[in-house]
Amino acid sequence: MLGRRGSLWFLAVPPFLWLLALFILPLIVVGAISLLPGTGRIDFSHGWPSLNQYQQVFATDIYIRRLGISAVMAFVVAASATILAYPIAYFLTFRARQRATVYLILLLVPFASSYLLRVMAWKLLLGSHGAINWVLTSLGLVTEPAGLLVYSQAAVVITLIYVWIPFAALPIYAALQRIDRSHLEAAADLGAGPWTRFARITVPMSLPGALATFFMVFIPTVGEYVTPSLVGGTDGFMYGNIIQDLFTRAGNWTLGAALAVVMLLAVLVLVLVALRLVDLRRVAV
Amino acid sequence: MPARPLRPHAWFILVTCGALLLAACQAQGSGSPGASAAAGSSAASAAPSVAEPNALSVLEWSGYEDPKFWIDFQTAHPDTQVNFDFGISDSDILGKMEASGQDDIFHFYSGWQQFYVDEGLVKEIDTSKLKNWDKVPDSFKKLGQINGKQYFLPWDWGFTSILYNTSKVSGTIDSWDALFNQAYAKHISMWDDGPAAVTVSTYIHGYDETNITDDQLAKIEAEWKLQKPLNLHYWTGEYTDFCPEVQSGDIWVAYAWQGCYATVLYDKSQPVAYATPKEGRNSWVGFYGISSQTDSYNLALQFLDDKLAKMSCENAVTNFYYGCVNQEVMAGITDPVLIQAFGINDPSILAHTNFTPLVTQAQRDAWTAMWLRVKGG
Repeated sequence: MLGRRGSLWFLAVPPFLWLLALFILPLIVVGAISLLPGTGRIDFSHGWPSLNQYQQVFATDIYIRRLGISAVMAFVVAASATILAYPIAYFLTFRARQRATVYLILLLVPFASSYLLRVMAWKLLLGSHGAINWVLTSLGLVTEPAGLLVYSQAAVVITLIYVWIPFAALPIYAALQRIDRSHLEAAADLGAGPWTRFARITVPMSLPGALATFFMVFIPTVGEYVTPSLVGGTDGFMYGNIIQDLFTRAGNWTLGAALAVVMLLAVLVLVLVALRLVDLRRVAV
Repeated sequence: MPARPLRPHAWFILVTCGALLLAACQAQGSGSPGASAAAGSSAASAAPSVAEPNALSVLEWSGYEDPKFWIDFQTAHPDTQVNFDFGISDSDILGKMEASGQDDIFHFYSGWQQFYVDEGLVKEIDTSKLKNWDKVPDSFKKLGQINGKQYFLPWDWGFTSILYNTSKVSGTIDSWDALFNQAYAKHISMWDDGPAAVTVSTYIHGYDETNITDDQLAKIEAEWKLQKPLNLHYWTGEYTDFCPEVQSGDIWVAYAWQGCYATVLYDKSQPVAYATPKEGRNSWVGFYGISSQTDSYNLALQFLDDKLAKMSCENAVTNFYYGCVNQEVMAGITDPVLIQAFGINDPSILAHTNFTPLVTQAQRDAWTAMWLRVKGG
């Protein structure tokens, strides 16, 4: 029979091997490709390693500018999704009572359909002949369909916020559930009103969950490329689209890999700086 | 109970298990088409009489896997398994052939022939084994030849020109510069492709497409950057994000192939016309090649021969509105819409058509990089 440490190894080794094979090794491969000197495809015969690709990344202003734009878009999406998901999670925790499970399942219903289908639905909603324009024209607010709402940076942000909200509610819901109700009861006994209890106890104690949500949305959104290619038009082009284009259209895997590594490092730095600025242990106390 | 450190023999067991797992994965991997091809070739060299596998892998463009496109082969070889892999651009298809070459057959478009030959990715086609080869006009056959050898089988073809909505555009469009007209701002759509953008600019400015200078490329980049805000979007799929927007009336002027033109003529959703620019239309041809690494060469030949057969070609023409190189099929078109779409009744159409030339890899890379700067700028 396995001892405690043996059991731990038994449980830890399979996921570790899985991560090693499908996460760490691919990252190392991408890093190695980014250090190839030549333009284009994988060829280790021309010397390795080289920083040629990274020089090109920093010498071409569009790459860094597009990374900045994507980071701003990701910030807006992550902040909005977190703020909008908070009331949902609050309702599920404190108001839904025995119906919480049903509402939670309803929250997850969109995941039963494909991601692409949900994004495509927004094309129908935002298009010149879409639902929003139909409502505006039917109400007589506009005589002709308003200009296309789709194919813009705004369309990308709106669609991504919608896509992320159900995901974003879950960590906040988990954080709110962990709050010891006796704190709220003690505050009420001491004369604190509902808003004071919310502002002084609920928000600070759920902040780690909210911040985790923010980063959970922010990090993948910086590298997003599917939604921009469907509803972004010429304005909504993101950093992830550049990487996708380099791999699939330009056949320039080496530069694409370098851009991917730069994005990875930039996001890591941003997250570390944010965590440094916001001391989770202090805000949660 | 205090935790005990892992004993050396436990490490040994773990490492052995890991090694066994990797070995199992490798064994599993040898079942993949690429690995079986390698295994097949070594077996073939040991025993030349071994039969070819009764399976084909085709590197295609999404949509071409539709059985209508290869119905003759399917009918003749019902037991043959045909698998499709997909590429999203000519560069992607070339990259996939370079990276693995595991597909027996690949499909790409004009301008890319030389790269496959130079890199040894393609096997010469034994046209004596193609019973439908004599239905292909010599002009098309020549396009698939490099250094006098028939490396590629031409199959689908068509035009590129300006498709426009006649109820939104006043007068007739007679130049490619309509794509740069401010009057149609936010109702223009360009294909998302760098070489295509360069081609359009060379037509407008009269540049030599095979010899674009750095200054000319800089000018081309500047004009496409100015053109960028005029687009509703850059389209990527003819029948996914392009034609529906033409049918809805949101796109008025676009870089287009004749497939969408025919579609809109059929459904009459919008009044449209297909320009004959004074600089000339562009014409493209799709080619099939057989991978140099295939161990199903004869089966691949049969697949290509059946692609040229009547039903497969007719379906390409009548269902997808692409031209097919089988001249008997094209000569048999009586549908007025298709006659209009292919310009069959216009004897001068070829005189006003530019065929995509062969360019170097460096030129293509430069054009694609330029387009990335346009999109990202």
